[in-house]
Amino acid sequence: MFSIPVFLESLVPLFWAARYTLLISVGGIALGLVIGTLICAARLSPSRSLRRFGAVWVSFLRGVPLLVQLLVFYYSLPLIGVDVPAMVAAVFTVGVCASAYISEIWRGAINALPRGQAEAAVAIGMTPADVWRRVILPQAVTMSLPALINELILLVKASSLVSVVGILEITRASQAQAATTFRPLEVYLAAACIYLVINLCLAGLGRWLEHRTAV
Amino acid sequence: MQASAVEIQKVNKYYGPFHALKDVDLSVPAGKVTCLIGPSGSGKSTLLRCMNFLEEYDSGEIRIDGRLIGYDAPGRKMGGRALREMRRSIGMVFQQFNLWPHMSARENVAEGLLRVRGLPKAEASARAADALAKVGLADKMDNHPSRLSGGQQQRVAIARAIAMEPRLMLFDEPTSALDPELVGEVLTVMKTLASEGMTMVVVTHEMGFAAHVADRVAFMERGELVAADTPDRILHQPQDPRIQSFLRTYHERNSF
Amino acid sequence: MDLLQQYGPALLRGFGFTVLCWALGTIFGMGLGLLIALLRHYGPRWLCWILQVYIEVIRGTPFLVQLFVLYYGGPLIGLRLDALPAGLLGLTIYGSPYFAEIFRAGFRAVPLGQLEAARAIGMTEASIVRRILLPLSMVSALPALINFSIILTKETVILSIITVPELMYQVSRMSAETFRYVEANLVLALFFWGLVETISRLGRRFEARVTKHLIERT
Repeated sequence: MFSIPVFLESLVPLFWAARYTLLISVGGIALGLVIGTLICAARLSPSRSLRRFGAVWVSFLRGVPLLVQLLVFYYSLPLIGVDVPAMVAAVFTVGVCASAYISEIWRGAINALPRGQAEAAVAIGMTPADVWRRVILPQAVTMSLPALINELILLVKASSLVSVVGILEITRASQAQAATTFRPLEVYLAAACIYLVINLCLAGLGRWLEHRTAV
Repeated sequence: MQASAVEIQKVNKYYGPFHALKDVDLSVPAGKVTCLIGPSGSGKSTLLRCMNFLEEYDSGEIRIDGRLIGYDAPGRKMGGRALREMRRSIGMVFQQFNLWPHMSARENVAEGLLRVRGLPKAEASARAADALAKVGLADKMDNHPSRLSGGQQQRVAIARAIAMEPRLMLFDEPTSALDPELVGEVLTVMKTLASEGMTMVVVTHEMGFAAHVADRVAFMERGELVAADTPDRILHQPQDPRIQSFLRTYHERNSF
Repeated sequence: MDLLQQYGPALLRGFGFTVLCWALGTIFGMGLGLLIALLRHYGPRWLCWILQVYIEVIRGTPFLVQLFVLYYGGPLIGLRLDALPAGLLGLTIYGSPYFAEIFRAGFRAVPLGQLEAARAIGMTEASIVRRILLPLSMVSALPALINFSIILTKETVILSIITVPELMYQVSRMSAETFRYVEANLVLALFFWGLVETISRLGRRFEARVTKHLIERT
């Protein structure tokens, strides 16, 4: 039968393991923002080859399952002489994968701006740099915030996959615990609970941001 | 012959195979109001947008105060800096207002003074306040566009343009996106500007405004400039059958 | 060449399982999602509330953890499933809330007047759903449905972790025996890339056909 004490007991160590989950997802989104912004710039640039490169980047990373990407990176990094801790490889993979989605979020927001917004700025003689800095980006960033939070939620869930390369985040920790306690139901439900709490908090943050920017 | 603020000669514009402007000639007298009328799709907005080179024309010349806009010489595009320099003195008001939603009314107006004219913040802000007062919105300065009615938004947009102290103002169907009861307040502001001697080019469907405020009315159809003359001769004694038919349709639609 | 001869059949079988899991998972998930959406649309308030919690819980937890609960935790409450049925059930449950939300958004996008017109000529609620609500909601829902179905193809690889013998599982076994981890996973990556691109293209074409008369072209 379901044992509540076992469930509660497994919450504590799993909660502790959540810092790795958070580290991977927050690190992933940060790296994803940097690379994703560059990719978005490439996709909007006048250069045809840059646009092509950006499109392939996005299509590849969105077409390949994260688990497969993770194993490709994990096994191929040592081959090319890069010897990094599993944790770094994990953040790297998650971040690169997120960059594809984030660049699409940016692009969507920028394309969603009415053309007249930039035109009005051009008409009074603003420089292209000012048009971007003062008119397009502030609006695109506010518009994208909820989508970025959503991406972070996806990364929190996706980070469970890095358990396969041996990082002791929530999922891996729960596997270890299930193996020692022989109570997989309680342990895995406890893990699910922790993910749920993290994501509900993030979703709440997202709604708050959306509400705030809607005014 | 009085001085022209805008001199348009043999301007052509294509969208792919579509010939949007056909050998258009027009001269806009300084200090006067010129209205561009005609059926939708006739090219009047395109022509207006060519006057500040938001739309590129393919051949011909458009001179603002004698200076060619968009090209250094025929076939050689103007550099960004020179073009911005020219646009600074041309104000534009759009059909959809195009106010920046993340800035208050006052910030919208001050933005150009700050970034383009390089005024210090306090002065830009003070001038923005003056411009807003002029369009009757002194009490709405700190509202964001979403908190303003369409008519108020358009007046902010006019303030944004006049704050730059332009020598020429372009209006692209400034009242077409407004509810009928809000049209009046915008037209009133425009009339005031006209009475102060601002050179204005107005694309409009408001025949009343054209009849009473314009000094010249130009009629366009299918990319051609059919006639440009006094309001009286275009609107009351039109010679060209195309103008007659346009006005007939207009009167039928607006009578009840 | 030897490798292909040796592992070819297993890889092919794995691919078969991948397609099977994806197809059944999508169909069942979509069915369950539609049911949830309809129950939320027409059901009593308490049911809506329970379904809302279900949606939040499933969407808030990783698929892998859901699979673990089902496959390893299930037996403790008498739910003893083999890997494949557990995987299919997991995929169905995992997909259902996303599908439900897509349907719900689709329902909401149908103009009220269209439904009122149907009620006004005396159609029953059931036939309104079948004849008006569902077809019209497809206009806005179809792209999202196709998109999420494509996302599900990628999720099938996670089933390998609970030893469902699909493609990824076979590839892992093969690479463990031959030590060709990089090549194997790289090929798998390219394979999925091609698969997803192809399905997306087909999806767009299908979409254009279904909504042909329903979207005003400009």
